[in-house]
Amino acid sequence: MQTISPVFAYTFKELVRRKAWLSSAVFGLVLLGGALIVSALGQDERARLMLDLGLAAIEAISLIGVVFLTVSLILQEVESRVIFLILSHPVRRADYLLGRYLGTLAAVTLSMAGMALLHAALLSLYGWWEPGRYLAALVCMAGKTAVMGALSLLLSLALTSEAAAMAFALFFWVLGHFSSEMRFLADRSGSAFLKTTLIAFSHAAPDFAHFNYRDFWHAPAPAAGWLAWAVVYALAYTTACLALAVQLFEQKEF
Amino acid sequence: MRLRWLLVAAAAFALALFAGSRMRRLHEPRFPHLAELKTGPFSFQDAALAVAGFRAPAADLAWIQLLQYAAGGVPELPDRPGHPYEHLAGLSLRVARLDPSLHRAVLFASGILAWFHGIERPDEAAELLNEGMLRSPEQPLYALYLAALAYKKQGDTDRMIALLESSFDLPETPSTMKAILANLRQSRGEYRQALSLWKRIQENDRDASEHARARIKIAELKILLAQSGPTPKKY
Repeated sequence: MQTISPVFAYTFKELVRRKAWLSSAVFGLVLLGGALIVSALGQDERARLMLDLGLAAIEAISLIGVVFLTVSLILQEVESRVIFLILSHPVRRADYLLGRYLGTLAAVTLSMAGMALLHAALLSLYGWWEPGRYLAALVCMAGKTAVMGALSLLLSLALTSEAAAMAFALFFWVLGHFSSEMRFLADRSGSAFLKTTLIAFSHAAPDFAHFNYRDFWHAPAPAAGWLAWAVVYALAYTTACLALAVQLFEQKEF
Repeated sequence: MRLRWLLVAAAAFALALFAGSRMRRLHEPRFPHLAELKTGPFSFQDAALAVAGFRAPAADLAWIQLLQYAAGGVPELPDRPGHPYEHLAGLSLRVARLDPSLHRAVLFASGILAWFHGIERPDEAAELLNEGMLRSPEQPLYALYLAALAYKKQGDTDRMIALLESSFDLPETPSTMKAILANLRQSRGEYRQALSLWKRIQENDRDASEHARARIKIAELKILLAQSGPTPKKY
């Protein structure tokens, strides 16, 4: 367990120094500026547009960042053979994987926090200020990012191809937002086989549709306790993906 | 030993299933299903954003396109000659079905369809408001506009205007609707009331889109008041 923190620290430093991380943060800031300009076209709904488009930009950049970074996290070290050097030290494979994952997540969360600070500052300039709800939306977005990071890591180890892992990760992202639709289709389906398959898929894919607070912000607020269960869900799903990734990683022969 | 992580994964997944079911029980997002989205030239844009989890931003972009259409048309949806705002109801429904919480789209379009000079399509407006009320029953303005439409059909313009004016200062009332109301007052020769409404529009930061028009109308109404004397005529 004590070997997690050095791996975490070097991963975090490595990623923050990378040009890809910096350019994604800069691109996020450009998108926030774009949201500011586009929202001017929204007339009476300017604040809503700034909020929605800004949060969407932060989430999109974080998603691309976390998928792009985690799929190459282990595979690049295997290719460059750096992994042999690291694993020759007394570092457990599980600790190494968790440290790498947590370091990546911290780097992505840092860029997310930077973008969110700027976004909240822009919103407050226009007289909008709801810090509690904004924080809840950010927690949900961070949860989605954590789930996607763990899923991408698992896929990269299972498929051993960066491109395939990225494609499948994006497929799961869409499938996750499709979970309500899958349940709706299962209800309507006359075939027992199709019904079972759809329900199985809707449970196996991460249920992003139900903790996409950013999207249903303007609708009546969810019941108390919903956010707590959403956080438990994200943590449990992330843990499941990471445990499977560790299982695969421990079975790998280098 | 080899199965340890598999067991951890199974336990965590079981917890995720349980937490997911609790989460769904506590809150079910009220978005219409994808099959209910309006088809048309923007279908691909709407479907792509909706399946990627960006439904509220999709509705926001649809709202901008609705405003562009109302301001002079969009190339994808040309109006036939003699059929102004032919696609307004459809574009408004598009927004409402992407995100029913963007109430202003329905209020804006129904206001134009029911009360805009030279449009007068109250049935379309009522249809739109009914769908809005079905999807967002918590929005009180839908019922209020429907009641005002009923007064309009009965020819009871006084009560219709009084009812619409009761919502004048509510944040959800579209600026366009306020302008329509002030123009209605002016068309009835009630210049003093019309002037008061335009002044309220000008003083409200939320109605910035109507401020330029308000300045012109205030100047125009002051001249009309000066010409008509101290008591306004009522037709």
